[in-house]
Amino acid sequence: MNRLRIYPKKLFWRMFFVSLVVSLILDFLWLYSNVFHYHFSFQYILEFFALFGLFGCMALILIAKGMGIFIVTDEEYYERQSEKLKK
Amino acid sequence: MIEWIHPGLVIFLGGFLIPFIRSRKVKLAYFLLLPIAGLTILILTSMGVFGPIPPWPEALHKWHIPFLQYSLELGRINKLSMVFGYIYVIAALCMNVYALRVKNDWEHVAAMCYVGSSLGAIFAGDLFTLFFCLEIMSWAPFFLLSFRGTKKAMGAAVRYVLWHHFSGVCILAGILMHIHNTGSIEFVHMPWGWGRDYLGYNLMLLGFIINSATTPFHSWLSDTYSQASPSGSIYMTAYTTKTAIYCLIMAFSGVELLMWMGAIQAVFALFLAVLENDGRRLCSYHIISQIGYMVAGVGIGTPMAINGAASHALCHIIYNALLYMGAGCALAVVGTAKFNRLGGLYKYMPISFWLYMVGGFSISGFPLFNGFISKCMTIEAAEFLQRPYIYLLLEGATVGTFLHTGLKLPWNIWLQGRDEPPPDIRAKLKDSALNTPMNMLIGMGILASLCVFMGIYPKILYAMLPYPVEFVPFTITRVFSITQMFIFAFVGFWVLRKMVKGYPTYTLDTDWFVRMPGMRFVRFCNEPLINFGSFLDKNILKVTYFIISCVRSPIPEMRMTPRPIGLGALVVLAVFSLFLIIYV
Repeated sequence: MNRLRIYPKKLFWRMFFVSLVVSLILDFLWLYSNVFHYHFSFQYILEFFALFGLFGCMALILIAKGMGIFIVTDEEYYERQSEKLKK
Repeated sequence: MIEWIHPGLVIFLGGFLIPFIRSRKVKLAYFLLLPIAGLTILILTSMGVFGPIPPWPEALHKWHIPFLQYSLELGRINKLSMVFGYIYVIAALCMNVYALRVKNDWEHVAAMCYVGSSLGAIFAGDLFTLFFCLEIMSWAPFFLLSFRGTKKAMGAAVRYVLWHHFSGVCILAGILMHIHNTGSIEFVHMPWGWGRDYLGYNLMLLGFIINSATTPFHSWLSDTYSQASPSGSIYMTAYTTKTAIYCLIMAFSGVELLMWMGAIQAVFALFLAVLENDGRRLCSYHIISQIGYMVAGVGIGTPMAINGAASHALCHIIYNALLYMGAGCALAVVGTAKFNRLGGLYKYMPISFWLYMVGGFSISGFPLFNGFISKCMTIEAAEFLQRPYIYLLLEGATVGTFLHTGLKLPWNIWLQGRDEPPPDIRAKLKDSALNTPMNMLIGMGILASLCVFMGIYPKILYAMLPYPVEFVPFTITRVFSITQMFIFAFVGFWVLRKMVKGYPTYTLDTDWFVRMPGMRFVRFCNEPLINFGSFLDKNILKVTYFIISCVRSPIPEMRMTPRPIGLGALVVLAVFSLFLIIYV
């Protein structure tokens, strides 16, 4: 309990790759055997949720970084502004 | 026979006794006993000891107090208020365990006032009681913030009060207009629309929207919650926003505007979270994002969506407190929750990491954790309504939530690909895997167990919801789609992981539009206005002395001709009015 250990890297990566491959195969098999019941037609696109997860995540980071050009500043921004106004 | 015991009143009044208990052990036991007492009352209420609770939307009415020509109703017990009541006291118990080490008794008092008044608000059957409780709720966090003692925390406390007093004024104005129109003070579902007839209801809606931190009025939350003490912030995560969600469900369910605001908010907050460097501010943005689901659910307004909003509020309190506790552990142990200063803590705080991860999976909506069983209900309600844009926004927010709370935060605090934390942080840690105080781990452990238990056994939650639940969460379609989405979101994160690293920055939010003009206004009052005032003072006095000298001049020709007394009074009145206008 009290021993110092680093996090289980190998186990994580093995599990991750297995689940990634299995999910791709299962989506292909289940989609064409009509296992899924979706509400919108676009959800029936092959590997839709894989693409949505991947590109959604990347788009979020990239758009936010773009927004960051305008809204990211230093940690003492408001303190600095307040000082500037006092002068 | 006792009509009913108000759990909020027990906790509220009971809290004031804490500083007067001498023995430390008795004090702590009493501190834990308060939410247990509240929970016991609620269990007795559910069992029908005080009368059977009728099916939703009917309610059990208790504690009527005459006030002016009205009758206040302190206890309106319905299925929805019971859901919120239960989670408020259970969360308070876990939070009290987490806060046991806090030395300042008055912080405990403020926390118990906060919990008690929140319970008061959700059981309020009339608008005056509701407003009164909301006002107490806007003061309690002021003390939780100010007890941290830093200059930034004090500033945040003042801003918190200003925001909530503004929302309070909006709600009060709405209440008064509603009473003027209808003559009733009962807290019921309100009509909504555009135009002059609905001004009062729009003001009330605005008040609730501000309290629930709905975009664009969300910035008070991220600004203030991250400035409280580790334990103080835990209380703040739960009560204000969820009480506002309760009020929105009661008064404004089915307002389409809320559906869009909620869905946009769920995604918008995530963009800001990407840029965040502070662990607790990041969690704050996730509160905002998750509230988006609830607001969207309220806006959709179907029984399934209302059930989704209520159950998500319940689950959210549990996992969000857990997330805040996880980030708070780092703050409590090494003194910072900033990503650019952390990383590699896993070796020294592994249990808090795993407990945090339970919260991370829950908020993301991973199957078998409690976020899944509640979030899916709102998303499915949008699907049933054939609203593809709302669906895509809410589903996109799920990906973003997993990216931040499931990946970015734990990666930056506990991992960052290194086995050891930076030297200055390492110096604050013992050579042990148990650096986190035990009471914090117990508090987190209880919440983590609740997350898993409810995730595996959702029936216990569904049985409490206002409408009968026909929703089956664990279908192949849903479990598979969400799991696959998360696996590939991880791929996206791993590719761009260097971009979500922490940098010592601050992200400006919508409050910039309020804070900057506010600062300029204060400066204007402090300098030009005061200077103008003293200039006027000086010159008015000069004129007065000149008039006096003319009147009293020893040379008769130099004296002013006497005027009628009414004219003199008029001049005095004019000068006095000018003085009042300038100074008041």
